[in-house]
Amino acid sequence: MEKKPYSISIKELHAAGRDNIPKELQTDTHLIFNSPAALDFNSPGAQGFGVKRAGLSIPGSIMLLISPGCCGRNTAALKAPGKFGERFAYLLLDENDIVTGRHLTKIPAAIQLFVESRPEIPSAVMLCITCVDALLGTDMDRICRKAMETVHLPVLPCYMYALTRESHRPPMVAVRETVYSLLRPGKKQANAVNLLGFFAPLQEDTELYPLLRHTGLRHVRELSRCRNMEEYHELSRANFNLVLNPEARGAARWLEQNLGIPSVELTRLYQIDKIHTQYQILAMTLKTRIVDVSWFTDAQAVVNQFCRAHGKEVLAVGSRLNGNAFEIALAMVRYGLTVAEIYAEPTPYDYFYIKKLAKLSPKTRVYSNLSPTMLHYRSEGKGITLALGADACYYHPTAAHVPFNEEQQPFGYSGVKRLFNAMQSALEEAVRKEVRP
Amino acid sequence: MKGLRLFLSPFAPDDSGAASVFHALGGLVIICDAGGCAGNICGFDEPRWETSTARSAVFSAGLRDMDAILGRDDRLIEKLETACMQLEPSFAAIIGTPVPAVIGTDYLGLKRLAEQKLKLPVVTVDTDGTKLYDEGIGKAYLNLFKTFAEKESSAPNGTVGILGATPLDFPLDAPWENLRQELLAEDWRQVAIYGVDEGIESFRRAGGNSRNLVVSTSGLTAARYLERSFGTPFDIFYPFAAEELKHAIDQSGKMISLDWKKILILHDQFHSNALRQELRQFLPGSIIVCGTWFQQHTKHAEEQDKRFREEDEFQMYVREQDFDCIFADRDFLRAIPFYQKDFIDLPHFAVSGSR
Repeated sequence: MEKKPYSISIKELHAAGRDNIPKELQTDTHLIFNSPAALDFNSPGAQGFGVKRAGLSIPGSIMLLISPGCCGRNTAALKAPGKFGERFAYLLLDENDIVTGRHLTKIPAAIQLFVESRPEIPSAVMLCITCVDALLGTDMDRICRKAMETVHLPVLPCYMYALTRESHRPPMVAVRETVYSLLRPGKKQANAVNLLGFFAPLQEDTELYPLLRHTGLRHVRELSRCRNMEEYHELSRANFNLVLNPEARGAARWLEQNLGIPSVELTRLYQIDKIHTQYQILAMTLKTRIVDVSWFTDAQAVVNQFCRAHGKEVLAVGSRLNGNAFEIALAMVRYGLTVAEIYAEPTPYDYFYIKKLAKLSPKTRVYSNLSPTMLHYRSEGKGITLALGADACYYHPTAAHVPFNEEQQPFGYSGVKRLFNAMQSALEEAVRKEVRP
Repeated sequence: MKGLRLFLSPFAPDDSGAASVFHALGGLVIICDAGGCAGNICGFDEPRWETSTARSAVFSAGLRDMDAILGRDDRLIEKLETACMQLEPSFAAIIGTPVPAVIGTDYLGLKRLAEQKLKLPVVTVDTDGTKLYDEGIGKAYLNLFKTFAEKESSAPNGTVGILGATPLDFPLDAPWENLRQELLAEDWRQVAIYGVDEGIESFRRAGGNSRNLVVSTSGLTAARYLERSFGTPFDIFYPFAAEELKHAIDQSGKMISLDWKKILILHDQFHSNALRQELRQFLPGSIIVCGTWFQQHTKHAEEQDKRFREEDEFQMYVREQDFDCIFADRDFLRAIPFYQKDFIDLPHFAVSGSR
């Protein structure tokens, strides 16, 4: 058999249909290749926010990881001063624990010792449990209630159940609900909105802040900007929530049901005209006006300037970046650039973009980072000159690199500008490297 | 409290240790997990993963809740079959994690079933993520030798095997090639460094080794097996002690002091023993304790040596013993903030993951 990576053209992918995604592009039908390009699929906490870091989004909280040693091993990377090290402790399970569940009786006492060992009284104790307790069927809510009686602090469960990654409530969805669950109904502020979806704030320069303020929403709040519990509880006063990441829908639902805060969802897009349309829909929903002309024209100018100067670049777009690989690829193609390859696992929801890509760029090929056949992937002869996403950068070591996976989140027109400015800088850097002796 | 770590993060687990032995061998390595363990192993515990030019074929089994609950080994074998068709490996290895441990996976049965279907040698390692890396390395070596090593005639000064050499115990830039050259210069015809050298061939020929050298405790079980099965004698031999002691002292900006009447060295037992031997040349009258959180073999321990299992036990011991100097990975200081005397950093990747 010829050794080459599995790929499919976007035209073929579209023709197959959303209900017939090839099994090579599905995540549960084959072994998962563990390359640097796929690291944050297997272990979201290895780069960026996994359940452990996400669970500590409640200001002043601490986390007890209850697991075999292997589950907490990479937490050692967070120990550096100024990071999260002081906020973690571990209750390590032995082989008897993982079969009998006898560790469960020790948890309240372990939390007590953990709280006493820290110089300040925490705001809450997060209990992070893993696949072991998923299989043991541990009733963590009951254990949390029991622990609360011991330490007189809120104790919340964080489920790091990798086994349930493809369930209706995967770990990163569940943890988004958990981190808002200490909120209690508060007096509403008509001029307050929460941004839900990310564990790091939006980039400072995003136009979403001034646009919302211009509509009269003076208080734009994000969990990641809360410095203390007082600011955290202000989140309960929002008039409504803006959901910026589909993984926060569950949290938004919880906030609506328990705090009476409704929500509106915005999608992160890189097609300028669609960003404009989305803002106008938001304006209609809020029964207000959103005037975004200056941001629109600024972003358009940056895109135009790039495309004039670099229209011949050949792009590879990965999924390990702040955006949807198919939407970004579509944006690039619509701006007149060439996208040769995409590295992503399509979902039925992506067919909205795939359909358009199939018309505009039918030969673009789609690969899965997770396919074992990617072991055979070679960049030579592909002609890729610009790689977007940490995974694309990995596959194309000699192309200009734009990882675009910073923790602070890009959004809207400013996100487009930031992406194109990064592409410009990467190409300039590549030229500098070439001319260097 | 047993298992409670308030300051020290977990050390490299047994599944990481096993994976480190397989890293360079060119097989299809499957971490039998849902994804997180494979991510931990490659993203944190295997420093060669990102740097090696050859792409290492490490995969997650991608287990999901129903696979575990229903014990669907057949699905795993199907995935393996597909991957083997695509990649044509020379062998496959399945490394255990907590999930198969909880559901009681029969590794022997899995090995037989996989070998039947794949027509390939399959090595299974029943690690469960609750134990430490040295045990995982030992199990991986043992199962590799049991699967591959054949009886070959050994010649005097033929091949010398080195067991226990992985990046979890030794720095990535450890001078293995210098050691190889030194041994060849001593008239050995071949040097096989298990855990460093590429390919499975040296494991096949291990039955013909003339002698094995055990450079860390993780190599001892395999050395004993090779002695029992093929009559190969072995020695405990930590090769870099003198240089390492000098480097550690230089880096600390300190000098070996006659005031160091009582010293603690924390590392792998054979490593600590070798450093103790070096230090004794300068400090013959000092009490030097070799402590370890990992395997401790009584035969190679002195009376005062200590094995630690729990963080509070370690804290209490250091507080009571009043050491003048501690040689250890800097991470241990987090657990003993009260310790104010001399400290010499002795990095141990399996502890801190510091490269």
